[in-house]
Amino acid sequence: MQTNSITSDAASAAVPAGISARQVGRFALRYALVIILALFLVTLAVSNHSFLTFSNMNVILIQVAANALLATGATFVILTGGIDLSVGSIVGLSGVVAALFAQDDGAITCTEAVVLGVLAGTAIGAFNGLLVAFARVPPFVATLGNMTVASGLAFVASDGQPISGLSDQFLALSGTIFGISIPVAVMIVVVVVAWIILARTKFGMHIYAVGGNPQAARVAGVNLRANRFAVYTISGLLAGVAGVILAARATAGIATNGTGYELNAIAAAVIGGISLAGGRGSIIGTVFGFLIIGVLDNGLNIINVSPFYQLIVKGLIIIGAVFVDSVMNRSDD
Amino acid sequence: MAPATGGETTEIAVDCSGITKSYDGVPVLRDISVRFARGTVNVLAGENGAGKSTLFKIISGQVHPDSGALKLFGEPVRRFDARHAQGLGVSIIPQELAPIPDMKVWQNLLIGREKSSPFGLLRRRQMVDEAAAMMESVGLSVDPTLPMKRLNVANTQMIEILKATSRQARIILMDEPTSSLSKRETEQLFRVIRRLRADGACILYTSHRMEEIEEISDSVAIMRDGAIIRHAPTKDLTEHEIITDMVGREITELFPDRTITESVKPVLEVRDLHVSGYNASVSFSVKEGEILGLGGLVGAGRSEMLEAIYGMRRATGQVTLDGRDLPLGHMQESIKRGIAMVPEDRKRSGILTSLSILDNVSLPHLNTFTSSGGILENAKRRTQSLDVLKRTRVAYASLGQKVGHLSGGNQQKVALARWLVTGTPRLLILDEPTRGIDVGARSELYRLINDLAAQGVAVLLASSDMPELINLSHRVLVIREGRIMGELKKNELEQETILRLAMGRSSNANQ
Repeated sequence: MQTNSITSDAASAAVPAGISARQVGRFALRYALVIILALFLVTLAVSNHSFLTFSNMNVILIQVAANALLATGATFVILTGGIDLSVGSIVGLSGVVAALFAQDDGAITCTEAVVLGVLAGTAIGAFNGLLVAFARVPPFVATLGNMTVASGLAFVASDGQPISGLSDQFLALSGTIFGISIPVAVMIVVVVVAWIILARTKFGMHIYAVGGNPQAARVAGVNLRANRFAVYTISGLLAGVAGVILAARATAGIATNGTGYELNAIAAAVIGGISLAGGRGSIIGTVFGFLIIGVLDNGLNIINVSPFYQLIVKGLIIIGAVFVDSVMNRSDD
Repeated sequence: MAPATGGETTEIAVDCSGITKSYDGVPVLRDISVRFARGTVNVLAGENGAGKSTLFKIISGQVHPDSGALKLFGEPVRRFDARHAQGLGVSIIPQELAPIPDMKVWQNLLIGREKSSPFGLLRRRQMVDEAAAMMESVGLSVDPTLPMKRLNVANTQMIEILKATSRQARIILMDEPTSSLSKRETEQLFRVIRRLRADGACILYTSHRMEEIEEISDSVAIMRDGAIIRHAPTKDLTEHEIITDMVGREITELFPDRTITESVKPVLEVRDLHVSGYNASVSFSVKEGEILGLGGLVGAGRSEMLEAIYGMRRATGQVTLDGRDLPLGHMQESIKRGIAMVPEDRKRSGILTSLSILDNVSLPHLNTFTSSGGILENAKRRTQSLDVLKRTRVAYASLGQKVGHLSGGNQQKVALARWLVTGTPRLLILDEPTRGIDVGARSELYRLINDLAAQGVAVLLASSDMPELINLSHRVLVIREGRIMGELKKNELEQETILRLAMGRSSNANQ
């Protein structure tokens, strides 16, 4: 800390001397990802006419909607210094639960089916929260365990079969409202609310404090348990919403519908600059993160890159993002 | 037993009777009975390990006593925890700072006491203003919207103190609050303390700096081996009495006689060393057997210079050791050439608290203790470690004991001892070697340092403790903003001269 203040003093003193090569290098490094992505987009837009169209942009947004919800949940959890690996399985479980109650002949209304699906996700999230906050099980282990538990529950509930034959009302969830696709509308609402919570409320401030320095937060009267419990519950709830939306889009509740989604969600948060150590980053970054992943997926598909190669590209981007973050922080010291 | 600071009507804030506490059967507190009044500043004096921290933890509800009773403001407290303690107005400022580095200064100050609108949104501007007002009231000028990690140690400490004292604190426990503060910042802190005292708070304070005890406290409670052996008004005690009581024996002199070596052979020569982040470079040399002190305010850039010479920090320039070039930025090479480093932040970079004493002492020398087959030769490692621990007078139970369980003074001795395992170093770099260390251990460390110098070791000593700097060094360089402001010979060493140089011509030395 002592050194930081000195470095900044010296840096500010050096400003009149002009911009150094080092600063240019730092700038290039910080925005390397954005620059590469921009180049990729421009190339794509020029060479391929179906990419930069309104309908394709809309497709991208619909495609990223589910990941956006999961990434928002991941942001809450990671900001407290935790991790949630169970959201992919929760997507499958909540989709199956909602679908079971949303079948055509069901006596239960569509709203109730949606609520039950979301509740299933919230319940798993709350269970994660109990384990982490009260039983002090490390987040990685607790959520890894519940990833399997949720997945198993989804298979049991669906008997391993897709649950189809859903009511039109339920399927309408993948339609539009006021001309906007419902998943996209949900995504926008969730992101905005999350931004307000994290940037403008006491709860948000406490989340940063818990991740930034739990001991200091505790001494300042922040309830560590309640905050940790809350973020896992929120993550489960958002995964539940994502699961219901995906079931409507797939016209069926499928237990394996969210397999691997947790990694995309964590990747979006990390690419967006949410520090895995906790306490640093903002939801705006996460938005960039899931948009980058969405645009990349879409663009690579359009130019017919094999999905196998897409995996490699995505993995390298995640590593690159974290590398840049660590380099920038190192030179901050 | 309590000093009559406020006459018969004084209300007792803290009342301990017969408190005992043991860890694993080892008594840490023995039958503590003591009372502290409201509106007083009370120093708990004692060597590290005397039980001061444990007593603090009991008063602040972090630890339960095995037996005995604690009353706060006359009310007996049972089944007490940290949250209850806060509710009663007990506030503790730990020695280890607890900022949230990635959050803003105002957030750090006001966390736990947020102000929200009826819609649940933070009243941000109001909170920023409040934080600014809090800082202004103690003469601290820091932009409340700066990230906490941009502040230097001293300002961070002041923010922590403000944070703890501003939440309606009626009993304030400060564990060595001044150990990382310079003289000026200490004055700022004292202003805060005096205001709190005037407001009727009861302040308990630990410090190893005698002149502070005399300046700020109303009473002194001297602890030794887990017991309070004397509690009296400060004005009735002399410095000599306090020290003798703390140590339990007479310390004839804190500082050893400096050995003057005749050698003129330079060990370390530094030319135009430019540490990254500073707009200045330094040149100096240290001779065989010479203790070269580096004085200056906290944050003057002394640590950075030392770290650059050792290779921990990026720098340019020329450094030679015994006439041969030393490549910068290569710690392993530095170690091989005989440079030993005892860094400032003991727990972060000096020792590995979770490892055993044996591992800590032998870590830099594992190559020496490895057979040609790549297996550690533990017998050899143990005998040599035992030998060096004996020479440095580390008090420990067994080689396997975790260093984190030792007292601060013994931890520091381990940090030094590790460099003496395979002979003596050529250059010994000491950065604030006695910060937070009790008098007894300090005098032993001084003797050790002096002995090493007498054997021809060149010593670079950065210290904010003026008596230490003046009484130990053969020569002192005063550093400010990474620049050498002046050089003082042994006969010119005076506290005032050093301070004047350290603060530059302008008084605007801070931030």
